[in-house]
Amino acid sequence: MDYKCRINGELLTLTGEPAERLRDVLYRSGFLSVRDSDDAEGFAGSDTVVFNGKLRYSNFILLYQAEGAEIRTAEGLLNGRELNYVQKAMISAGIVASAYNAPTAALILSWLLEKNPYPTREEIKEVLTGIFIRDAGYEHYYLAVKLAIELRDTGAYQSEIAPSFRPKLDAIGKPMDKIDGAALVSGEPVFVEDKVPANAWVLHVIRSPFASAYIKSIDISEAEKLDGVAAIITAENCPDVYYMQAGQGNPEPSPHDRRLFNRKVRHVGDRVAGIVARTKEIADQAASLIKVEYEPTDAVYTVEEAMAPGAPLVHNGPVQYNAGAPADLDEFNARAGDPREGKVVYQFPLGANIQKNIAASNKGGIGDMEKGFAEADAIVDHTYQTSQIQHTPLEPHVCYAHVEHGRLVLNCSTQVPYHVRRIVSWVCGIPENKIHVIKERVGGGYGAKQDILVEEMTGYAAWITGKPVYYRNTREEEFIANSTRHPMRVRVKMGGKKDGTITAIFMEVCANTGPFGNHCLTVPMNSCSKTLPLFKVDNMAYDLKVFYTNVPPAGAYQGYGTPKGNYGIMMAMAELADKLGIDFKLMIEKNHVEEGYMLEILKGLGEGREGNVVPVGSCGLDEAIEKGCEMIEWGKKEVSDDPDWKIGKGFAMIMQGSGLPGLDHAEAIAKLETDGTVILNSGGADLGTGLDTISAKIVSEVMKLPMDRITVVSGDTDSCAFDTGSYASSGTFFSGNASLAAANKLKELVLKEAALQLEEKVEDLDVRAPGEVYSKVTGAAISYYELTHTATSGAGRGQIIAHGSFVTAASSVPYGAHFAQVAVNVKTGEIKLQKFYALQDAGTPINPECALTQIYGAVMKSIGHSLYEGMYLDKNGRCINANLTDYGAPMINEAPDDFKSVLVDVDDEFGPFGAKSISEIACNGAAPAIGIAIHDACGVWLRDWPMTPEKILKALGKI
Amino acid sequence: MIYKPTSVREAVALRTEHPEDTVYLAGGTDDLRLGSCAAGKDLIDINGLVDSTIDVKDGKLHIGALATLQDVVESPLVPAFIKEAAKFCSSFEKRNAATVGGNLALRRDDSYLAAAMCAAEATLLLYTSEGETERPVAEFLKCTCTPIIEAVVLDADRTGWVKRFGNTAASHAALIAAQSGGVYALTVHGSGLAVGDSPAICETLDYKDDLTGGADYKKYLAKIVFEQGR
Repeated sequence: MDYKCRINGELLTLTGEPAERLRDVLYRSGFLSVRDSDDAEGFAGSDTVVFNGKLRYSNFILLYQAEGAEIRTAEGLLNGRELNYVQKAMISAGIVASAYNAPTAALILSWLLEKNPYPTREEIKEVLTGIFIRDAGYEHYYLAVKLAIELRDTGAYQSEIAPSFRPKLDAIGKPMDKIDGAALVSGEPVFVEDKVPANAWVLHVIRSPFASAYIKSIDISEAEKLDGVAAIITAENCPDVYYMQAGQGNPEPSPHDRRLFNRKVRHVGDRVAGIVARTKEIADQAASLIKVEYEPTDAVYTVEEAMAPGAPLVHNGPVQYNAGAPADLDEFNARAGDPREGKVVYQFPLGANIQKNIAASNKGGIGDMEKGFAEADAIVDHTYQTSQIQHTPLEPHVCYAHVEHGRLVLNCSTQVPYHVRRIVSWVCGIPENKIHVIKERVGGGYGAKQDILVEEMTGYAAWITGKPVYYRNTREEEFIANSTRHPMRVRVKMGGKKDGTITAIFMEVCANTGPFGNHCLTVPMNSCSKTLPLFKVDNMAYDLKVFYTNVPPAGAYQGYGTPKGNYGIMMAMAELADKLGIDFKLMIEKNHVEEGYMLEILKGLGEGREGNVVPVGSCGLDEAIEKGCEMIEWGKKEVSDDPDWKIGKGFAMIMQGSGLPGLDHAEAIAKLETDGTVILNSGGADLGTGLDTISAKIVSEVMKLPMDRITVVSGDTDSCAFDTGSYASSGTFFSGNASLAAANKLKELVLKEAALQLEEKVEDLDVRAPGEVYSKVTGAAISYYELTHTATSGAGRGQIIAHGSFVTAASSVPYGAHFAQVAVNVKTGEIKLQKFYALQDAGTPINPECALTQIYGAVMKSIGHSLYEGMYLDKNGRCINANLTDYGAPMINEAPDDFKSVLVDVDDEFGPFGAKSISEIACNGAAPAIGIAIHDACGVWLRDWPMTPEKILKALGKI
Repeated sequence: MIYKPTSVREAVALRTEHPEDTVYLAGGTDDLRLGSCAAGKDLIDINGLVDSTIDVKDGKLHIGALATLQDVVESPLVPAFIKEAAKFCSSFEKRNAATVGGNLALRRDDSYLAAAMCAAEATLLLYTSEGETERPVAEFLKCTCTPIIEAVVLDADRTGWVKRFGNTAASHAALIAAQSGGVYALTVHGSGLAVGDSPAICETLDYKDDLTGGADYKKYLAKIVFEQGR
């Protein structure tokens, strides 16, 4: 039926069923800014429109209700291609990050400023209560409004957007708009879903209702007969290829413990069958005709259950090693169980024993632990537990795949385009040259899109059917069939002397990887390898085990295992300081590393191989601690007027890495185009963090070209060169360094060509703005345009193209300290986060405004983990809160009252222009800082996150 | 299917005729949300049939059932603690659609308004198959009848307080307590509603463990919340 309404001032007819959701019809009608992040849960607000003058969720409006309505969407904010002042200010403030709902946020703020030209902070907060921002945090939204008002009123910004760094450089270290900001905030078709044609077929997955069961039989015969069903993929007809879904380097440090579909389901939500159908309705009908007979088996959900003698085994098939097989492997495999278990393939030994549910293990250390503890005046020995956490990106996992010219083309929302290509190649049995992966803009990753969770299935479906196939996770599937943060049990034993010297630290980590071993060694290793090297302690040891269980799968999540390890180790240190009766700050000062300290502990922490022992490089830890203590007035006891509210302070030091030296690899290709502009093809995958802008700034700086004369094409496996991807904080350090190598090489080639054209010596030439070569001797000059024009004129030496590659053994480690002030109500257990200060040494922050918002966003996530978030399973392993509301994702109301991010100025030796990584590390401080502050407030140690009012009351003995 | 009746009487007749298969559609924030009990049911659209204004007559505040929660927040006529209860719906967009009548008609034990309205001794103007009638909110919330709520009526000068406990602002509340003029009211997730003239009402509920918290936790809060005040 047709419904007439006015949209963005234009009288239009919307066509559809009367009971269709307005959101779906608007999107279908080309209003792409009206997205859906929650399947009409009414939480995330990506579907917000202005409906008859009011901000409303369009998922809650039916099409017939739009008859005669006045509707506004973000598309209406544009004047031609010109952004409105709010959109411009949002880009400048650094909040257009992954940006899945950035156009909607722009619409909301524009609406507010029309109604209320000078809103207060509270009024801004109020209109943002209905929109979920997971990437950039909320703090710079207030700045964006301030900037928008200034731009509207005076035509220019009056306020400082972010601090600037490196005064001698033009682009690096200066707040400059992200190069993809305009496309993202205006609602251009930049996400995977925008590339799906109307004739795409759908892929629908039937999922297991059991946490552990064999599939006794599956009958697809009736479903296959349906018109509009192209294929039904099951364990019986899928490729007999074992693989892992973790997007990690090759050889892969995760076991190949799954096929596309398995004969044993290992968690509620596990894949049972994939239906390729012309429409969702046909797929649903086909699903109803498929008969599956299950043979349920006993399941395990916790590491305690998994490690118990006689525990049910999650994997009990034969094990294969592609290198380093143990001598007793045949004997081991003789004990394998039912053939439906399948097999587990290790590329190299990871300390696994699947017959004890151990997916991986490692232990090691330095010094003499016995001696270390013997020297201690006090010892603490506590266990810290963390819950299962979901990334909740605004854009769920999606993939569109089709066959073109005999090649498989995948439009992906991924952090790892080249790993996607490799794994799809293996699963589909087609060579990599026949696969084209296009990384679209990523509407939120945070590690979730480091795993190949949907691409291999969608690619295979398209490859065998020849149909264009679209797959999109529901929000529930994001929880139950995706990857999550590993639940962990971290035991820390720490000994110290009365003067605060720590004599020994022992960490025992038990991680729950769920049914598959994605990142099963890497994530727990990080809980030790990114925490123990903070300490100048002679005796340190770790023992970690990773257990298979039947909970929803775990995998990579921003920070890997560090937030959990740091929660344990910092809380334990605070408990030790408390026991010794000394100030926590004093203990930190006495024991933290400084520049030049040799990190012997790294020797064993090499993710399946020997680690590099390196000295501490550039380190802003001291400054972060000192400045943070000053800001929060460490040592000053705050007292509330209300005796029920007790106030406390805490802080934690933090570190991370900048990619994986010796494992990561990045490449870039810089081309001088025929008009003197540059196109940089970067293998790096910008997730919204500003990596493409970093690459453009690097080229701009080296070539002395204005930013608008540089274009970055990234994450396209056809046009770009190999890059391991954006994870483990590698983007700026690895992909940025590859861009720097390409830019330096391009400059070198340009100077060589100019020397020939100008008939001068190369060493006498240099480049200068706005893009020309000049002679320091004769003063002669030639523009890039003239240079490249001659080079490509038919008689020249050809286009100037430079290739940069970056690998390193060097490590650039970011450091920092996070501070919290909480108020705890000792009668009700309520916790208020009054202050949170995040101080970080990120080396040279290339995009300072984006660096700040990445910190805000990561801290908000970790505040969520620390206080609110957690997946809960019933006794049958079914997640009972697989939606954003019940899960407890934090929104603007949960943001700290006083929230500050500070960039500590440190110039690094190895990073591009001195840069280090920025965002992952920001996940590591909140849990211990808040936990220590809670103790300072009310005297209880909460040793499991989320730290809830109920747990406080229990610890206080009230319940 | 969507019914679009032209009068309240017709709407009630439709609902009476199809008691199992229909629900009323007002703001749509519950009927149309993921996981709604209304999924698969036919909708009877009552928008335009019921009052949405807020005004004071003879010292009584009349809140039209189709007034949105944001209308309540913005009205200068509504007592502060009722406004605060309306803001327990933390999303601005949702408050722009969710209606006062809808929130009460759902009879949820995490209702934004129920505790405050009960403590305020509010009454409901209802339209039933037998015609118009008036019932106290507390009584309405404990029955299973399905009339159309036309308005909520309470003393315009009512004062009181309301307090919510929940994981996040957007989560379902574990417990909401309100007190006004010596009337105490509690809504507890998984346990229901208690209203009375003393804090001892907390003893009348059967507390359950659920996602919002353990039974002991909610029982403890129910016990101390009135002592604590807002």
